[in-house]
This record gives sequence, structure tokens and C-alpha cells, in this order.
Amino acid sequence: MPIDIVMPQLGETVKEGTITVWRKKIGDRVKADEPLFDVSTDKVETEIPAPADGVLAEILVAEGATVPVGARLAVIASDGRAGATSATPATFSPVSAPTAAAPAIPMPPRAASGPRDRRRRSISPVVRRLAATHGLDLAAIAGTGRDGRIKRDDVRAHLARGAALECSVIPFNRLRRLTAQHMVRSKATSPHVLQAVEAEFHRVDAARRAHQAAWQAREGFELTFLPFIAKAVCTAIAAFPRVNAVIEGENLVVFGRIHLAIAVDLGHEGLVAPVIRDAGSRSVAALARAIRDVAVRARASRLGPDDLAGGTYTISNSGVFGTMITAPIINQPQVAILSTDGICKRPVVVEGPEGDSIAIRPVGVLAQCFDHRAIDGAYSAAFLRTLKDRIETTDWTASID
Amino acid sequence: MSPRTKTKATSGRNDDIGEATRLGLWRQCLEVRHLEKRAYDLFLQNLIKGTSHLSLGQEAVAAGFGVAMRKDDWSFCTYRGHAHTLVRGASMTGVLGELMGRECGLLGGKGGSMHLTSVEHGAMGSYAIIGAHLPIAIGAAWSAQYRGTDQVAVCFFGDGTTNIGAFHEALNMATVWTLPVVFVCENNLYMEYTPIGEVTAVEHPAADRAGAYGLPGIIVDGNDPDAVFRAAREALAKARAGEGPSLIEAKTYRHSGHSRADPGKYRPDEEVKAWLARDPIPMYRKRLLDFGVKEAVLDAIDAETRAAVDAATEAAKASPEPALAVIERDVWADGGASWRN
Amino acid sequence: MAELTYREAVAAGIAQEMARDPNVVFLGEDVAAAGGVFKATVGLLEQFGPRRVRDTPISEQAILGAAMGAAMTGLRPIAEIMFSDFLAVCWDIVANEIAKTRYMTAGQVTLPLVIRTANGGGSRFGAQHSQSVENWAMAVPGLKVVAPSNPADVKGLLAAAIRDDDPVVFFEHKSLYAVKGEVPDGEHIERLGTAKVLRDGRDVTVLALAAMVPKALAAAERLAAEHRIEATVIDVRSLVPLDTETILREVVKTGRVATVEENPRLCGWGAEIASIVAEECFWDLDAPIVRITTPHVPLPSADNLEDATVPTVERIVATLRQAID
Repeated sequence: MPIDIVMPQLGETVKEGTITVWRKKIGDRVKADEPLFDVSTDKVETEIPAPADGVLAEILVAEGATVPVGARLAVIASDGRAGATSATPATFSPVSAPTAAAPAIPMPPRAASGPRDRRRRSISPVVRRLAATHGLDLAAIAGTGRDGRIKRDDVRAHLARGAALECSVIPFNRLRRLTAQHMVRSKATSPHVLQAVEAEFHRVDAARRAHQAAWQAREGFELTFLPFIAKAVCTAIAAFPRVNAVIEGENLVVFGRIHLAIAVDLGHEGLVAPVIRDAGSRSVAALARAIRDVAVRARASRLGPDDLAGGTYTISNSGVFGTMITAPIINQPQVAILSTDGICKRPVVVEGPEGDSIAIRPVGVLAQCFDHRAIDGAYSAAFLRTLKDRIETTDWTASID
Repeated sequence: MSPRTKTKATSGRNDDIGEATRLGLWRQCLEVRHLEKRAYDLFLQNLIKGTSHLSLGQEAVAAGFGVAMRKDDWSFCTYRGHAHTLVRGASMTGVLGELMGRECGLLGGKGGSMHLTSVEHGAMGSYAIIGAHLPIAIGAAWSAQYRGTDQVAVCFFGDGTTNIGAFHEALNMATVWTLPVVFVCENNLYMEYTPIGEVTAVEHPAADRAGAYGLPGIIVDGNDPDAVFRAAREALAKARAGEGPSLIEAKTYRHSGHSRADPGKYRPDEEVKAWLARDPIPMYRKRLLDFGVKEAVLDAIDAETRAAVDAATEAAKASPEPALAVIERDVWADGGASWRN
Repeated sequence: MAELTYREAVAAGIAQEMARDPNVVFLGEDVAAAGGVFKATVGLLEQFGPRRVRDTPISEQAILGAAMGAAMTGLRPIAEIMFSDFLAVCWDIVANEIAKTRYMTAGQVTLPLVIRTANGGGSRFGAQHSQSVENWAMAVPGLKVVAPSNPADVKGLLAAAIRDDDPVVFFEHKSLYAVKGEVPDGEHIERLGTAKVLRDGRDVTVLALAAMVPKALAAAERLAAEHRIEATVIDVRSLVPLDTETILREVVKTGRVATVEENPRLCGWGAEIASIVAEECFWDLDAPIVRITTPHVPLPSADNLEDATVPTVERIVATLRQAID
């Protein structure tokens, strides 16, 4: 069957093309995919291969001539017999021809729905559903099934790579994994009991107001509530040392010195609890600097292994976000952890010699989770009462150094 | 050919049956007659749908056994079963209601004419596939035998049944196991449209086969309530005594066609005329009058049964159609119809 | 645990129930003195006597009719139909009488009876003694249909069938009678209408019944060993009631389902399950539902012909490999 060669549509907007060179002469044998002629358009310069084996029987358009898309250019006969009269035009796909260098292959199109095509288009119900649910473009998913069929697992893998719009999968990094393991282990190890007290922070607040400007000017950062709380914790621990301990086997190892771990959020990308050594001997100011130091270094990933080891009690501070109460998870192998939450102004009843009155005071909740294996509720409660008393009654303005 | 006993009606009012029993037979004959006539009328009014097989003309068989059976005996009958169900004590309203597809029907509208059942009255079912209930009846008889009760299973069927395999299987096993069961063939001469004689190897389709199972061939006038009653009494006693099954062939004739769809035109006029002359109801009335029973007594029973049928008709008409919820009820013993979890 | 053969488990199940309930009786052809043609009821006559264990004539209608009549009047009969093919000669009693009478009488009649029958191929008996006809029974409302694959289930499910107040058609598989397995000591009873997950896999859920269960398991092991395909294998056990809960749950897990059925293709039990799966978990399917069945032919008798006709382990493996892709 003779085949007509016509001017291909090399790009959607191309209307005509110029034959720059015929690579074959009339009578030459041509093989499918062998270059037959070159075409130049306003967009591309390209080589067009022969669509089938045969003999170049006729050349109808000479080199240098410009003809519209679809014009007959030549005839290839199957066995050398010229068949100009009954040629079948070779069709070019008008849409799939790339506008860049890749040529349209002048091949007759394949039957639209051969079994292989059908299979490639076979999208199983579950894949359809997953695609609809996650807004996936299936064309972007590589199928690993027979003939490239997309299977359910292919979609899942695609989702796992985070390609989906509405659902992303974030693999755990090392820190996340360790945190996850630690939290699960802690919950499984320690029977947690939560107790909380409400403390008034008017004296702390007064101290902050009194020192803030000078502090800011001298130290370059804000004086927060946390170092005051840390100091109060240390003094309360002196009265109730068993919260400053670890469990080893069936022993409670109670420490004389306080190595205070401070939970630091790494910009929502993880959590570490660097340790401030010998916190009990430090002043509020020293604690403020130490807390500042470990937090800055933690966020800069400049903590060493020693910074994270050896804590005896932990404070977790969610207060900056205005939380009301948090039940923290014990930092193993310690036996207690304190959460400091949001401090805000509330009307409170103040008892005075002239009777009760209402005052506006900053109030916050201090919540401690303790390991009930180590201590009991009364001990923890007594510790919290002492902590509250220290915060409320210490003359902080006079005692930050 | 097997040995044959023919039971004849004996006369005399102080005989072995007695007046009270005879009045019971009379009452049952009339109940069946009036109920079946009413069923036919209700067809014509299109209040009864589907098919129905009437026992008009065959009342004496049902009545004879109905009176002879003990309350705790079991009867198994065919799709021509209105009569046999009624004589066990099932309510007329229940029967007519079932025929009319009403909630008050014996089966709540789920069975219809061909499956009337009233287990509480020992009417263990009407079976619409020829032959099926003979084996089922022997199962009930086996159960009575096994449990040592002296209950008897009575199984009614038509002449056509004698040519199906289940008939022979059941008779053989009943004999081999000496089961307390009475098989009653109501030979009304036509299987459906075809005369039974044209398609059967022997003259008496049941009695002539009895010998094959070691049983005497018993033929009884199925239009004579007394004759049927006596045969029933004897067979029931034999069964209760542990002496095994009986097979009774009752010759009778249906006054109407096989079923609602059949006007019965295939039967010769003379034959029909001759059998109508032997209509069991007027014949039995005459006998009772001959025996000195007062006409007023007979007429009173007649009037009572007519009134009862009227009342039942009204009650059934007044009954609602079954609730659709019953469609998925009672497939299983748990009351439901679920086939999956 | 005692090791019993499948056939011994039949007798054990019957004996367990006859011992606890005097209303349980047993009848069938050659079941008493001969102990059954498959020797599945050996010893019952000796243990329970000729009143309760009765030989019958070759009269399948009489056997099942008697069972029905006995059941409706207070006994709990077990009737044996020697070959399930013979159900065809008494199908009226099964399909028209036993199955429908409770419904037609609006619950007046209760039929606590069991029809035991030897089902299935593999014995070179030819087309009239080898059929898998569980789908006949499955198609009739009012019948419960059970087909155990191992001795423990034979005993437990048979006991459950006997205690059930509805008619149960209990399909024993001829080719499994000699198979041994652990059976719990003492009273053992299973629950009707429960499928059993025998093997857990992530790639495909294979549903099988009776003799196809060991084949499906063998195929699953080969798929795992040779092709790294992990199949869940479910012993369906009970066709009516059908444990769709277990089946659908396991199908959704893998997204792929195949049935392995010994019955000829058309209207096999797997067709019903396939339609349920398609209706109820279509959007969880990751591949077309696959049915592996005997082709729609009567079963031939020669060794090689019969073996190649019913689903083989090789055919199951090959079909599942294709289905996974």
C-alpha cells in the first residue's frame, strides 16, 4: 500500500513549512524512522523520518518550496512500484507534535483502544477514590503494575512522597523518633499524676517592671517570668528534695544539687531539654542568663552532649502561648516535671487588716506531673504550696542578683 | 393382586357408631360443604385469588377421619386441604382469611390456599407438591414411635399421587419401620384432567399396590361418612397398637373441576350425574332421618354451620391485608430472614 | 487436643450431640451397621443403638421426608444423603418442603434438622458422584449451608448445626475424609455463619471453601516463597449465613479478592460474594475480582482429567500472580 507523505504540523500554530533538504532520491529504499527530509518552519528546524519501510516513489515538492501543513510531499511505495494514484495519506497528529525540536513521527495512529492502551487507562476503583480524595493528578503517578497500571500501593507511595496537595507525609527525623520513643517510654514507665496550683505573680511582675529597662539595656534580652519561677522551684526543692531525684531500680536517688532541665522548643521542629548545672546556687539573674544561653544554643544546634545530660528536675514553659494548664510528660529518669503556663491579669480577693478587697493581679497555673512510684500526692502538693508561697511572698525586686 | 377388604356401611342407629358421632360427622360434612361453597362464591367476587382446590363432593373423607382422629394425632394433606384443615378444628375465619390473603389467615397470608396449616390443631400442613407429604408423615409417625407416644399420623392424598416415587418410598419405609401412619388415598377418578385409570397399571391405584408393601388393600366408599369413619377407626387403632401402617383407598368424586381454572368439562355427563346422585350430604341426611334423627336437629346444625360460615366471611373481609413487614419474617427460627451479618 | 481424621470428626460430632440430647436421631443409607460408605459414622450404632441410628432403604425422599416430619414433631434428626449428587432425587423435600414450610406457615413449624452429605470431587467417581453442589442449597431461601475444611470444624460446625433450630445442609468433602487434624477435647462447638481467617497477607484476599482451603493455603505459601506475594486466606466455612463482615473487612485490607471454588463456574458461591464485594466495597478494589473455579463442565473421571479440571495449586498461583499485577 503506497503511503503519502504530507507536511507535518510542527506545533499548534504552525501553518506551513519549507522543505530544506530531501535525504533520499526517488527510487531509494527507505526504512521506517530513517531521516527522509528536513523541514524548516518559523519555529523549528527539524528532520522528519520515514513512516514505513518502502521505496521513495515520488517527490512532489522540491527543496526550498514552502507548502501548507497537510500538503502532499512524496509517496513511499511498499515494494518499489510507484502508487501515486491510490496513496493513503500518512496522518500526523496535530496535537501531540511538540513545538520544540522533537519531530512528530509520521506514523499512522495506533488503534485507539488496543488491550495495552486499555490497561494503561484502567484505573481501579480504589485508585480513583484515593485520587479524588487527595486531589491527585494520576498522570503524575508512576504505575508499577502490568503495563504501567497504577496500583493502590503506587498511590500510597506517591502520597508518602508528599506529592499530594491535601495530605503530606512527614517522615520522622532522628530527633522526632527519639522524642517519640522517649515519650512512650515515659508514659509506660511512670504512673503520672498531675497536680496544679494557681499562683499570683504580682511581686515577680513588680520586679520585672523595676528592672526591665536596665536589664534590657545591659543584657540585650527581656527579663521573663521563667528565671523567677526557676529560682522559686530551686528554693522549694530545698524544702522538698524528693522531687529532685531519679529512680534507679527500686531506689529513689535524691540529689543534693539541682540540675535544672529547661524544655526548649526548636521552632516547632522538635524539643530539647538542656540542663542548667547547679541551678540551686544561681541567682535569678544568673538563671535568666543561663536559660537564655541554652535556648539560643539549642536553636542554633550548638548544644553538646553534656548540655543535655544529668538533669534532675525539668521545667516546661508553654506560658508564652497563653496556655492555661499543661500536663507534661516526665523527663526520664527524673520523677517530676513542672509546666508553667500563661500568666494573665485576674481579679483576686486580697485579705487585709481592713477586710477583703479585690485586686488586679497577674495569675498563672503551675502544674506538676510526678511519678507516683517515687512520691505521693501530699508530698507533691506540699512542694507546690511552698513553690506558690515563694513566688507570691518573696521580695523579688530586691533579690534578683 | 393384593387381598382386599371392602368396608360397607351398616345400618341401625344403635350400631357401633351411635347418634352423637353421626351428628358430628353430619356437622363436619356441612361445615366443609358450606365453607367450600363460600370459597367458590368468593372466587367469583374476586376476593380469593390464586388457585384453589375444593373438596365439594369429597366431604365424607375429611369428616370420617376428622371425627375418628384423636386431638393429638397429626394430619398431613394436599393442596386440596381446606376440608382436612377445617375438620381438625382450625377456624373458618383462619381458613377463609388465608384464602383471601388477609392478616387473620391461618398463615397470615404467607401460604395461601394450598398450604393451610394449623399446628395447634394437629393439621401439620397442606403440601402442594404431589407425594412430598407421605415421607413427611412417616417422619412424624417415626417421632411418635421413637418418643413412645401413641399418636398417629394420617396422610391424605389423591389418586394421582400413587404414581409418584415418594408414595412408594414412604409406604415401603413405613412398613419396614412399622410406623403408626395411615395413608388415605382419595380416589376421585381424575388425577387432574386425565382419568387415573388411563395412566395407571392397576384398577385401584392405591389398594392394588398395598400388597407390594405387605398391607391389605382397603377400599371404602368415600362418599359415606360412616364407612370412612369405620375404616379410620380401625386403621388408627391398628397404628396406635404398634401394628404399623394402613393404606385406605376412598372412592369419591369432586363436584367441581380440579382447581379454580378447571370447569371439569372433560368428564362425561352421565358420570357426573351418577356421582351427583351419590352426593354425600343428601345421602347422609337421608340415612340420619331413616335412623330417626329429627329433621329439626339436622336443619339446626345446617343453619348453624351456614351462620358460622357467614360470620367467618365477614370477619375475614374485615381483616386487614398482612403488614409488609412479614415478608422478611419467619424464614429462620429466630423469626428473621437474614442470611448475612 | 486429639488428632482425628475428618471422617472420625463426623462421628465424634454426631456422638457428642446424641449423648447430650436424646432427641437427636440419625438415619440414612448404610449409616448404621456398615458405618457409612465413607466410614464416617462408624461406632454410632454400637454406641446409641438401632432406635437412634437407623439404616434406611435407598429412598432419599423418604429419608429427608422422615427427617422433616420428625423435626416438626419434636426430634432433631440428622439425615445422611450418601452423595450430594443424590440431593437431586429428593430436591423437592429439600427445596420445597424443608426450606419453605416454616416461612409458609408463618413460623408455626420449626425444623431443627441436619442433612449431611458427601460433596465434591477428587475420587475419580465421575460426574454423578463428584459434584460440588453447595450452591444449589445456597440458592434456596430457608436453608443454612455449611462446608467445613478440617476435622476441628467438622466436629464444631456439625455440633452447631445439630443444635441449630433451622435446617442445615452440611457438605462434607469426600477428598478430605482421610485428612487428619487436631480437634479440641471435650465438648467442641463452633458458631454457624462465621468465616475464619487462616492466613494474613497484604496483597490479596483469597476466599476458599472445603477442599479448596488447603489448596488455597498451599498456593499462598508458594506465592510468598516464590513471588513475594502475601495472601490472606479465608475459610468461608458457612455460605448461609454468610460472614460478610469478615470477608469484606479482609477484602478492603488488601483491595484485591479471589475466590477458589470447586463448583462449576456459573452461579458458584463465589459469584454471590463477588457481587457483594462489587456492590459494597467497589471503591476499595484495586483490581478486578477474580474467580477461580472448575470450568462449566461436568467433572470427568480419569486421574489427569479430574485433577486438571478442579482448581489446582498451580492454577491458583498463576491466576493470583496475574491478578495482583
